[in-house]
Amino acid sequence: MSFFITKECTGCMACLLICPSQAIKGEKKEPHTIQDELCIDCGACGRVCAFQAVLDNFGDIASRIPKKDWDRPVFNLDTCISCNICTDTCPTNALESKLQKPKNLHTYPWLAREKDCIACGFCALECPVDAIEMKKENEGI
Amino acid sequence: MRGSHRKTGYMGKIMVVDLSNGTIETETIPHTVYESFLSGMGLAAHVLYHRIPEGVDPLGPDNMLGFVSGLLTGTGSLFTGRWMIASKSPLTGTWGEANCGGNFSPAIKRCGVDGIFFKGTSPKPVYLYVDDNRAELRDATLIWGKDTVETEEYFIEKHFLNEDGFIRSDSSLQDNSLNEKELKKYRRKKVAVACIGPSGEKLSLISGVSTDKGRMAARSGLGAVMGSKRLKAVVLSGTRRIHPHNREEIKRLSRICNRWVQFQPPLMPGFLTAPVGALMRLMPWVMTQDGLLYKIFLRKWGTVSMNQISVEMGDSPIKNWKGTSSDWGFFKSLSSNPDTFTEKETQKYHCYSCPLGCGGICKTTGKYQKTHKPEYETVLSLGGFVMNKDMDIIFQLNEMLNRAGMDTISAGHVVAFAMECYENGLITKEDTDGVPLKWGEPDAITWLIEKMISREGIGDILADGVKRASMHIGEKSTTFAAHAGGQELAMHDGRNDPGYALHYSVEAAPGRHTYGSGIYYEMYQLWKRVKGIPKIAPFYSKKSKYVPDKKHARIGKANSEFMNIMNGSGVCMFGGFMGANRIRIFDWLNAATGWNHTPEKYMEIGSQIQTLKQAFNIKQGVEPSTLALKERVIGHPPQEKGANKGRSVPLETMMEDYWELYGWDKKTGKPSPEQIEAVSRI
Repeated sequence: MSFFITKECTGCMACLLICPSQAIKGEKKEPHTIQDELCIDCGACGRVCAFQAVLDNFGDIASRIPKKDWDRPVFNLDTCISCNICTDTCPTNALESKLQKPKNLHTYPWLAREKDCIACGFCALECPVDAIEMKKENEGI
Repeated sequence: MRGSHRKTGYMGKIMVVDLSNGTIETETIPHTVYESFLSGMGLAAHVLYHRIPEGVDPLGPDNMLGFVSGLLTGTGSLFTGRWMIASKSPLTGTWGEANCGGNFSPAIKRCGVDGIFFKGTSPKPVYLYVDDNRAELRDATLIWGKDTVETEEYFIEKHFLNEDGFIRSDSSLQDNSLNEKELKKYRRKKVAVACIGPSGEKLSLISGVSTDKGRMAARSGLGAVMGSKRLKAVVLSGTRRIHPHNREEIKRLSRICNRWVQFQPPLMPGFLTAPVGALMRLMPWVMTQDGLLYKIFLRKWGTVSMNQISVEMGDSPIKNWKGTSSDWGFFKSLSSNPDTFTEKETQKYHCYSCPLGCGGICKTTGKYQKTHKPEYETVLSLGGFVMNKDMDIIFQLNEMLNRAGMDTISAGHVVAFAMECYENGLITKEDTDGVPLKWGEPDAITWLIEKMISREGIGDILADGVKRASMHIGEKSTTFAAHAGGQELAMHDGRNDPGYALHYSVEAAPGRHTYGSGIYYEMYQLWKRVKGIPKIAPFYSKKSKYVPDKKHARIGKANSEFMNIMNGSGVCMFGGFMGANRIRIFDWLNAATGWNHTPEKYMEIGSQIQTLKQAFNIKQGVEPSTLALKERVIGHPPQEKGANKGRSVPLETMMEDYWELYGWDKKTGKPSPEQIEAVSRI
């Protein structure tokens, strides 16, 4: 399945360090490999690879994107139903829930640890009511 | 594409941990098993039926304990965050199961398996840690003895490092070997924990398993099985994805369901719930319940919304099943009106994938400053059932029992049993260190429960439930011990709804209230989706509830089958109550798995699971007819006043009709060898 590291890999370890599912193995300065069984298709390895060494699950070369340009989840709290599916599915535990509406005791999700977000979009994909959009920080809602 | 994930909603594997020798293996489960029994409790029944030897000692090394997630958990469906534990129950000697919400259910699947099964006995206290690429048994000596909240906090601190990278310097931590790169990953880890407290460690037969600091899989005494294996906790931190066959279709069905959940008109103040119950008591006929109304109550108040309604209508037993609604009238039950609980609520608590949020976190005063909002069962079993009006004590006892890992339902029964024994001179002040066990006395209730948790003095006898306590105290006390097959009953009275009495008695795990009743069937509205089952009229005579006939047997069978489907899928019963056309469980299952089964086919699967669980009991030498309720709990003799005046349940006939409909022997409740062979050869 899924993502694949080609021989272009230089062993810089950027992908290994960001992989949230411990799916990437390899020594420094040696080509890395992705364990199919563990890969969750988050695409983070491709986004950080500076050597175009990662193929996505269609076999295309994944493009490196500077971290400041990554999409982040934006929550529409009017639509959100507090079901915690997004906070659970987040592979890096970047999301948390807290009280956010006055006189409303239901908790709603927020991006508690932005630096941990890997822009996988799983939260938006799995939200049953489409209350999450992946957007760049300056795009607004 | 480079290969593809299995898109069936289930993970297709189980983990088997042998605590005796420390081996951990992952096994692939054939698709036919899921097609025959779904996942969740059905999968557990399949695994445990084959692997637990005949006549096993429930607290011995040969018994197995399974933690399972539901087929629909993690697929984008709603109300599907239930996880379950199953084993041979030490409390009843039968099939034992317990069900719980929280966030542990998806955590099981995110470790790549549908269930984790334990066998053997560890020589020292251990916990299982699983993440994406490792599963390890680790030393739990340091946390043995800690309560469930302390245990969970310990693991959160240990495995979820905060942004400052704080890590405990405790020399026993095996993570000290981690290098900096791994530590950086650990900073992002979250963990889900299921653990036992001191009650499970001390092998109390009414102990359960806790998660999320106070959600309990409490029934069947399975905390004691975990304790007997010296397994303190299961700590999960996987990130696997769960792939349904058609996620968009599941989301479409979820949005339909959610529209009903969000329908929330304003409601009256809590104390006016009592007159609603009184009206239901006084009416000569039953108005069929639409579960949407209960949903509205649950969203506003949680399960405590039913406190006064149940007392007034005769659903809640009072004073150890001896009292009546007239002994616990409006002013006595007023302190338990639902506003009492929501006033202390600081936030709502949603289990995973739940849009409703019937739970809550409450601020309290006393030894414990906060607790999960007590549930209906807890409030009534420690309230009217023991004649206690002090709700502040109930908040404290709720937290105390959750931390100890003891079942609040059973604990309330034991307290009531002890008080009735005291009233009748079977327990004296000599047994209680001079503490008078008077009905409704908060200090006496607290003292007894503390003793049960610590297993000191009379608490040691009581900590194993009312059946064993009555065997110790003597034959005269057996009348005061309300149980089915050894398990204490829930706060739902079969004299008001005979369906409860039936399911307490005929289910493979006796004494549990979540399998079915007349009112459950009304709320499920299954006849709108399943052909050939009875439709309930908008109004019907109350007397007709007590007439055993084929229709009621069919309702009972449908309840059991549907609950098996929900337990196989991880669906919350409260979601199911909204009605089959509003929560599309059958359609979710088809969308998750890619199957194209009819609702009738799923009900057949539910029937197979029921037969398999019954076969488990037969294999273990259980006589199903011995699990039946007796005496006062079924109105023998009938009560002379109150909501259930003059009512008795024709239980024997109801059980025979139910068993006959399954094709089992109508007198013994045993499936034929051919029926057992049919479900066990899969």
